[in-house]
Amino acid sequence: MYNNKKGGAIGIIITIVILVLLVVLSNTELSSVSYLGNAINAIVMPIQNGYTYLKNGIAGNTSFFTNIEQLSDENEKLKQENSELEQQLRELEIIKAQNATLKEYLELTEKYTSYTTIPAYIINKDTSNYSATFIINVGTEDGIAENMIVIADKGLVGHVISVTKNTAKVQTIIDPSSAISITFGSTGDTAICKGTLETNNLRATYISTSAEILENDTVCTSGMGGIYPKGIMVGTVSKIENTKNITDRYATITPAVDFNKLETVLVIVN
Amino acid sequence: MKRTLIVIFLILIFFVIYFLQSNFFNWFNIAGIKPNLFIILALFIGLFLGRKYGLCFGIIYGFFLDALIGRNIGISSVMLGIIGLIGGYIDKNFSKDSRVMIMTMVMIATIIYEVALYVIQSIVLSYNIVEIGILIKTLVIEVIYNVIITVIIYPIIRKAGYFIEGTFKESNILTRYF
Repeated sequence: MYNNKKGGAIGIIITIVILVLLVVLSNTELSSVSYLGNAINAIVMPIQNGYTYLKNGIAGNTSFFTNIEQLSDENEKLKQENSELEQQLRELEIIKAQNATLKEYLELTEKYTSYTTIPAYIINKDTSNYSATFIINVGTEDGIAENMIVIADKGLVGHVISVTKNTAKVQTIIDPSSAISITFGSTGDTAICKGTLETNNLRATYISTSAEILENDTVCTSGMGGIYPKGIMVGTVSKIENTKNITDRYATITPAVDFNKLETVLVIVN
Repeated sequence: MKRTLIVIFLILIFFVIYFLQSNFFNWFNIAGIKPNLFIILALFIGLFLGRKYGLCFGIIYGFFLDALIGRNIGISSVMLGIIGLIGGYIDKNFSKDSRVMIMTMVMIATIIYEVALYVIQSIVLSYNIVEIGILIKTLVIEVIYNVIITVIIYPIIRKAGYFIEGTFKESNILTRYF
């Protein structure tokens, strides 16, 4: 490839194009490229329409059977609608519970103001895929010390693990070696929340067998053990995984903070 | 003189890559996964400069890396040193001109480095959950990304590599024969 100069250059250009495409495609949401779907649809639709017309023409002769088909289709649809409605009902109940906890949180946000915080910028993120730490632009000169809590506007980010004169290293809650004690908003049950390798996934384990967990429930720090004070928002429960053994069950938690877009943080000083 | 300049250049390259890794690749990523250019760098130094230099540079790079972003000194230092050593061994046994060879080497080096690092870190930092599924997914994307980057920059590396190799190994021959 590289011996033939012309061929080599083309090969490299193709590779660059593939790389850029991979990056762009893996980072765009499907809904944001709906025009692409429309364009493809415009090509496919005439063929599909023709095919459907042809199919209908043939199937029209046996209207009795198609009627049965229609009925069963309708039945299926209604069943689905029914289950959707049921789900909505469940969701409403959860929202009701959530409303109560949110009211509690309102009081908590007032508590947040009692903390003295120092704003900081993230100047460097981790170079590895297997840990999640970052460096902020404040250090001992600004009054930062080890084990101080770092938060963002929406919730908990992590804690300071080492400080230099002008910078501090922060371990985020999504780091695999991080573990925090949490409580579920609506029931008050506690669990341990650990980081996985995935950016937007935490895992709550050691959930007591009698505990009731709800999807979309809010999760905040419990204040037990560790260094985290009570009542800082962590995230919401996105999925509950029931294993064969109830003691092993765990919940997946989506952190309130979007760690991919995080740029400014607050360090709690007192 | 020439050698000193090259050593300084190779250390500067580390910092360039460090800033790329910690800033550029944080948004230029494939599904949230970034490549690891340090592995490619250490491997190619071992490949073109031999085992000794590969090991030394690997350890130095790893030390910088641990001091800058790591939590305890030594883990990446040892691992990058080993990657440098592997590069040196490969240099003796395989051709550096084969594209497939280079891609395979980068692939194997990335897998060895990341898996070893993950295992060591999970013991040292007491990871609570060992996520084999997520680890494999991350690893596969990272390996593909690394290989793609190697394909793109290989012509540059090869030119620079042979230049550096010439400077270093020429004097080796002189000392051997005179």
